[in-house]
Amino acid sequence: MSGSLQNLTGLDRMIHEPARLMLMALLSSVETADFLFLLKESRLTKGNLSVQLSRLEEAGYLEMEKTFRGKIPHTEYRLTQKGKSAFNQYRKSLGSILK
Amino acid sequence: MNVQIDSAQKRARGYWFVDGFTEMAAGGLFILLAAILLFSGNAPQSSFSTWFLSVAGEIAVAKLIGILAAILILWWLKDHFTYLRTGFVRGKRITVTQVLVIIRNVVLFLFLPILALLAVSLLIASAHSVLDFMPEWFPIGLGLIWAVLYLLAGEWMGLQRFRLLAIAMALTGIAVGIGQFAIGLPAFPANAQTGILQPLVLDSINRTLTSLDLLILISGVILMTSGLVTFLRYRKENPTPYVEEA
Repeated sequence: MSGSLQNLTGLDRMIHEPARLMLMALLSSVETADFLFLLKESRLTKGNLSVQLSRLEEAGYLEMEKTFRGKIPHTEYRLTQKGKSAFNQYRKSLGSILK
Repeated sequence: MNVQIDSAQKRARGYWFVDGFTEMAAGGLFILLAAILLFSGNAPQSSFSTWFLSVAGEIAVAKLIGILAAILILWWLKDHFTYLRTGFVRGKRITVTQVLVIIRNVVLFLFLPILALLAVSLLIASAHSVLDFMPEWFPIGLGLIWAVLYLLAGEWMGLQRFRLLAIAMALTGIAVGIGQFAIGLPAFPANAQTGILQPLVLDSINRTLTSLDLLILISGVILMTSGLVTFLRYRKENPTPYVEEA
């Protein structure tokens, strides 16, 4: 097995799952995004989206902030520094494997 | 699930333009500037500098107030329409260093070459041909610069319609330039003296301003149309605000 193929096993499995990869990619381009934006863009179900966001939050890859917009509760998500580094590392690893 | 990382990132980056409001606001601002240029009339030979400063001042004030008003209106519209339908996104903050780099690049690659070209054509009689053709090359050059900017922005944000806008801007600039060429060039005598107050130079400047006015006006209409079409499509796809189920 070549060196680059061995990297496959080193891929971050927390990010490698397609739904979470989509969420990480979306959040990596913005400062923050709310639940509705992630729901519309990822086309996940609300339940699945909640679960995936919770997993990423537990891994320390994103943080959640609950605020109010007027009287409506509003939840925003942002990647943490750890999440940004992990995502960049994931992209690099995947790139080196596919070269 | 087929995840395309680049595509997802581009969609997030281009979210500000998803509803067409920004293009409509930019189009409105362009039309306002075109109207100011139109109503300011031709540059008079007797008081060119006063006229020029007055028009430049009006445009600067209109730009400042227009941009501030547009930002406030956009925030309000997005808050009451877009964010309720497709969610809220806060774009990445631009650092002071990034802003300085952008300003440096714009000055270096855009303003300095144009200013140098104009200065040379005004100060050196033999270089008057640059000034002769100014009503033609100025709109073509500006149209092409806008086209490149739209192409780059469209590529960065994955917005297909920005490619069409780029083509439209380039074609508009070329059409205005060709239109001026068809009217005929001002004929500068071989022994023309330097200085901007000569009648023929003023004629060239006035015709360049007419070209600029036309280009800005048509571009404004194009932007408004693009924004309106985008808005109608967005509203059709997202007819009602999202309501959280109990």
